[in-house]
Amino acid sequence: MNVYEVFLKKDGREEFRHVGAIEAATEDLALVLARESYARRAEGDLLWVVRRNHVISAEEDFVAPNADKPHRHHDGAAVASRRKAARESSSHKVAESADEVTH
Amino acid sequence: MREFLLAFADDEHLMGQQHTEWIGVAPFLEEDLAFSSIGQDELGHAAMLYELVLELNGLETSDPAISDPAIDKLAFGRSSSDYRSCHLVEYSTRHWSEALVRHWIYDTFEELRWRLLIDSTMTPLASVTSKALREEAFHRRHANALLDKLLEAPEARARIAAALKVIAPMVPGLCEPVAGEAEALAEGVTTGSIADLLEPLTEAANRRFAQLIDCGLVTTGFIGGGIIGGSQTDANSSDTNPQDYSHASSGRTQRSEFFDPLMTRMREVLDYDPTAVW
Repeated sequence: MNVYEVFLKKDGREEFRHVGAIEAATEDLALVLARESYARRAEGDLLWVVRRNHVISAEEDFVAPNADKPHRHHDGAAVASRRKAARESSSHKVAESADEVTH
Repeated sequence: MREFLLAFADDEHLMGQQHTEWIGVAPFLEEDLAFSSIGQDELGHAAMLYELVLELNGLETSDPAISDPAIDKLAFGRSSSDYRSCHLVEYSTRHWSEALVRHWIYDTFEELRWRLLIDSTMTPLASVTSKALREEAFHRRHANALLDKLLEAPEARARIAAALKVIAPMVPGLCEPVAGEAEALAEGVTTGSIADLLEPLTEAANRRFAQLIDCGLVTTGFIGGGIIGGSQTDANSSDTNPQDYSHASSGRTQRSEFFDPLMTRMREVLDYDPTAVW
């Protein structure tokens, strides 16, 4: 028996998504059983099964150092708030100068 | 014509019921789902065929409030002598191996049977057929995927051989037409007799179970009474079938001993509360 990871995709939309795993004795049984276990309500139009031991995975220690780099987490919030402040102060100045003209 | 459609509908109905009875008790979880899904497909085919019978009787089937109770009445409410099922679908299997062997035989036959209807002059029947054939491809692939693997293993091979000896004698009855088939042929509703399917079915079975024939577990042939045990005794040889199912031609008018208990199981809730709303 082998463990197969199961992926589904809606035709023309989105990407293949991992939906679960299945244990099967042959590749064809993996497809047959994955179809009924994961796509019986038309959750996808395209089906992949991949032998779990064919997935090349990295060690956790190899990936972990990237969790400690907050400077790469720029969601734009700091820049956006500075731009907003700049915008507001300049429109304030415009309003003031318009006031002076009417007088 | 009614009988012709009923024979197919009844086979599908009882086969679907038998397959769905494996939910929760099939050998593994994914198989529960797959096998009872296949059973649901067969029940769907039965419902579509019963609907065609009702249309023959002039019933307006576009309103489910009218057609659903009428389909139920046809499916569950006839006297046993009015059914046209064959003994293969009435038989209650004792082992998963019997259910699997029957599944392969029935679906191989069913695909051939639908192909006789794809050019039917009865247009709604031809359109039911094209839907059913798409589903049959999965049914057959499922049965073949399991058998491909199981026939490699000696223990499974012995079990499958024992199951085949029980199921094979019922196969000629599966290919026995009803009296109404002649009329269906004359009107182009079908393009061939199901009796002619026994030969291609036998050939397909001989290819499918070649490993069993090669190692002497069974000898070949459905025609004329089924697969007979080979010289080599197998583990289940004492587990013989209680009844002789050798084929006696009756135009599908005789029910087997398994029919009444099966119908009782199917009608259990209905008998408990005939007014229940689903």
